[in-house]
Amino acid sequence: MNHEATHQQKPAFAHLVWWFLFAQGGVIAAILIPVHVLVQGILGPLGIVHVVDRHYDTWIQVLGNPIVKLYLLVLIALPFFHFAHRLRYLLVDFGVPAAKSLPAQVAFYGGAVVVTVVAIWVLLTTAPISFS
Amino acid sequence: MKAPPAGAEEQASANPRVYKPEMARGWWLAKRHYFLYMVREFTALPLALWLLWFLVEIQRASNGPKGYYPHSSPGFVVFSVIVLGFALYHSYTFLSLAGVIIHIKGVPARLIVLSQFALWLVASAVIAAVLIGFAR
Repeated sequence: MNHEATHQQKPAFAHLVWWFLFAQGGVIAAILIPVHVLVQGILGPLGIVHVVDRHYDTWIQVLGNPIVKLYLLVLIALPFFHFAHRLRYLLVDFGVPAAKSLPAQVAFYGGAVVVTVVAIWVLLTTAPISFS
Repeated sequence: MKAPPAGAEEQASANPRVYKPEMARGWWLAKRHYFLYMVREFTALPLALWLLWFLVEIQRASNGPKGYYPHSSPGFVVFSVIVLGFALYHSYTFLSLAGVIIHIKGVPARLIVLSQFALWLVASAVIAAVLIGFAR
């Protein structure tokens, strides 16, 4: 009799969740971040183009839009679940085996959760939600 | 090949042998491929710092029209130029992997990678249009 068939395998749900967040965070970071860095980090401050975050009135109006809030949350929070994984293994690769330990996992993935919570708080408190 | 020193076998049976992978401190500098792998993993740090700094700018909008000021210093621009390099490297390496990760029957991997790069281009154009279009 097939031993594996009778033995109930426990699905690795935690693994699935973290792996999914790692992959999605990587996609979001790859597709969305460069244009923000280019436009808001270089072209805007240098005055080459007018950018929405250069003036308070245009920036606060955009920040009030609930779709923008949701977009910024995805843009800022999701990549951190990708970064947490990569930086933890970067430490392992640099010869820090402690980065594999449970406390290190709590610190890195917990850090991503903290960033998510802070981002939600900032997005909800900075500009009141408006549909205009 | 070197012959094992005399008595090595005896020693081995006396103590349980544990495999300890040893990597030299600068192993990732030994080969270009290793180095680029570490650069790829490292991209996470500058990207994370830039996003956090961006979150600070968003938070500043709660200071009101008098208290708000966007990041404008030359230092920030230099930082952004460096981050952009890492960001592009992350995008290039990550989107190139799509052909390995996504499998669709009858669709060649090259086409899948191409579609990811096309998506990146379109998304970037749309976001740039919004960021610039809503400015004054």
